[in-house]
Amino acid sequence: MRLPPIFRTTPFRLTLLFLALFAGAASAFLFYIYSVTVLEVTRMADVAITREVQSLEGVYGRGGREAVRRVMIERTQDDRPFLYLLEDPSGHRIWGTIPKGSVARFDDRNTDMVRFSVTAPGETGSVGHDLARGERQKLTGGETLFVGQDVTEAEAYVFRIVRALWGAGGLVVVLGMVGGIIVSRNVSRSVAGLNAVVAAVQGGDLRARVELRGARDEFEDLAAGLNDMLDRLEHSIGGLRHAGDAIAHDLRSPLTRLRTRLEVAILDVEAGKGDPKAALAQALEDADGVLRTFVAVLAIARLQAAGSAPDQTAFDTRQLAADIAELYEPLCEERGLEFKAELSAGLQARGNREFIAQALANILDNAVKYTGSGGAVMLRTRRRSSGELEFSVTDTGPGVPTEQRARVVERFVRLENSRNQPGSGLGLSLVAAVAEAHGGRLELDEGPGKVGDMGPGLRVALVLPRVG
Amino acid sequence: MRILIVEDDVEAGTAMARGLGEAGHEVTHAADGRQGLTAASEKGPFDVLVVDRMMPNVDGLTMVETLRRQGDQTPVLFLSALGEIEDRVTGLKAGGDDYLVKPYAFAELIARVEALARRRETGSVQTLLRVGDLEMDLIGRSVRREGKEIDLQPREFQLLEYLMRNAGTSVTRTMLLEKVWEYHFDPQTNVIDVHVSRLRSKIDKGFEHAMLQTVRGAGYRLDA
Repeated sequence: MRLPPIFRTTPFRLTLLFLALFAGAASAFLFYIYSVTVLEVTRMADVAITREVQSLEGVYGRGGREAVRRVMIERTQDDRPFLYLLEDPSGHRIWGTIPKGSVARFDDRNTDMVRFSVTAPGETGSVGHDLARGERQKLTGGETLFVGQDVTEAEAYVFRIVRALWGAGGLVVVLGMVGGIIVSRNVSRSVAGLNAVVAAVQGGDLRARVELRGARDEFEDLAAGLNDMLDRLEHSIGGLRHAGDAIAHDLRSPLTRLRTRLEVAILDVEAGKGDPKAALAQALEDADGVLRTFVAVLAIARLQAAGSAPDQTAFDTRQLAADIAELYEPLCEERGLEFKAELSAGLQARGNREFIAQALANILDNAVKYTGSGGAVMLRTRRRSSGELEFSVTDTGPGVPTEQRARVVERFVRLENSRNQPGSGLGLSLVAAVAEAHGGRLELDEGPGKVGDMGPGLRVALVLPRVG
Repeated sequence: MRILIVEDDVEAGTAMARGLGEAGHEVTHAADGRQGLTAASEKGPFDVLVVDRMMPNVDGLTMVETLRRQGDQTPVLFLSALGEIEDRVTGLKAGGDDYLVKPYAFAELIARVEALARRRETGSVQTLLRVGDLEMDLIGRSVRREGKEIDLQPREFQLLEYLMRNAGTSVTRTMLLEKVWEYHFDPQTNVIDVHVSRLRSKIDKGFEHAMLQTVRGAGYRLDA
């Protein structure tokens, strides 16, 4: 038999489990209370009986058998009378309120409390058996005195209380079940939203998101986490797709050019004119360009897909920047550029040295390419007041207009004035990817400003998060 | 010199064999790692092994690990389509001596193969390098040409040392960036050329014979 779905939910099962535990604990507790109370009732009856026996013994001592009988008769009129039985030494009943046979045979040793039952006429004439306790005492004249007390009522009272508690327990269980069903239904509704999104994503819809209800509970956290995860996933898959499109797009034109050149070379050679060697050399150069683009796009895509850069180690920013400065300084000099490096000492960063070195090299490549002879290029490393580490390159070239700064970081975007410069249009995209893969960012600002026909310049900063 | 090419792409392997053959080397071609192991033990010894990383049967990494376990210390140049730093590190850990990412320029392959073979020849520790009338004292960190002291910056010294150790063979710009600067990226500008021309002005200027040659399409070569 299959249970309806609501009974198969985790919260409902948990409810059942807790109810079972509760019921078990409550039963044990009630049983304990019952036992202790019954014992107490019995003990109190016993004490009263013993006191009565002693009192009657006193009466016997003063006035003998007849006095006892009189007192017993008198006391029978009380509110809750004791049960009496007085026998002469030969065992014949003298007086009593219970029949002789009610109590087991008497022997000398037996002075303990005994449990027995008395037949009492019920209110409607029926005959009931009430529970009673009693004590025997041999009197000095050889008579046997028996005093008992009906305990049925007291025990029944305890029993009624316990039964009421059981009833309450049952009510709690029923209410618990109802609560469990309500909770399960609510939870199921929350989980159903999550499940629907998971199913949608499995079906290929990466844009599905869980609707947040603002409940601030753990389901909401889970939903928010799932949404966040999907955002990232969509972003990185989008990045890969974009990279794929970009590779296709940007490789298509140079590949077409390459193919055309080869085709023309064949025609020329067939016609007996043109220099096949030059055509091949040009084709080879085109092929190299295609490959460089391919390598750069692949590096960016891999960084973006990985999320964080591989093989990160602690390194000295000054050491790394000095290495790169040393690599580029002669080039600047050759291009008639003033080169300066201002490197703060003792700044440790964490990252992939190779990628960061390449990012710095790309930034410097750009600065050298776009800054005219007579200009200046400056490499700086410093710690910002925010604690972030900054590698920056400032040049006195034409700079990038504010409204185009965001665009130049995009893949393959090359501004109009850079068409005649060599380069894949991927340099800054790679720098941005490297920055992101280290939890940092790339910032573009205006350089030192316009001086004569120079400037306003560009300041490119690779900002890494603070360490420790 | 004798070179064993282990490459499963027949066309690429044949082209490589032809190119290296034309450069004056004796080439054996094996089509996968298993054949490569057989060739290395039966047709050896070779001066250099050129091994593709990804091949059927026995792949390149396993093949080289096997050779190294057997005590074969022939220099190995790995060829691979996997170009990330960690791939490179895996290749070098497996016993490779150099790593070239596909696709590569032919000049790059030849230069690296010859550099590997040369490194083997000059296996012993040297304290003095000499190419023609150029002398380098590795302990005193000094360089002389025709007895005249030449003052070099530390990086220029390293650059010249690498060129002298590979004198007579071409070294490419990428090789210089990798071995002298220890970076594996491809700068878009001609940073290396500028360093080489600075070095050239120091060692060749004022001397009749220019030692540091530019090899078109390949890189540089230091000649005696």
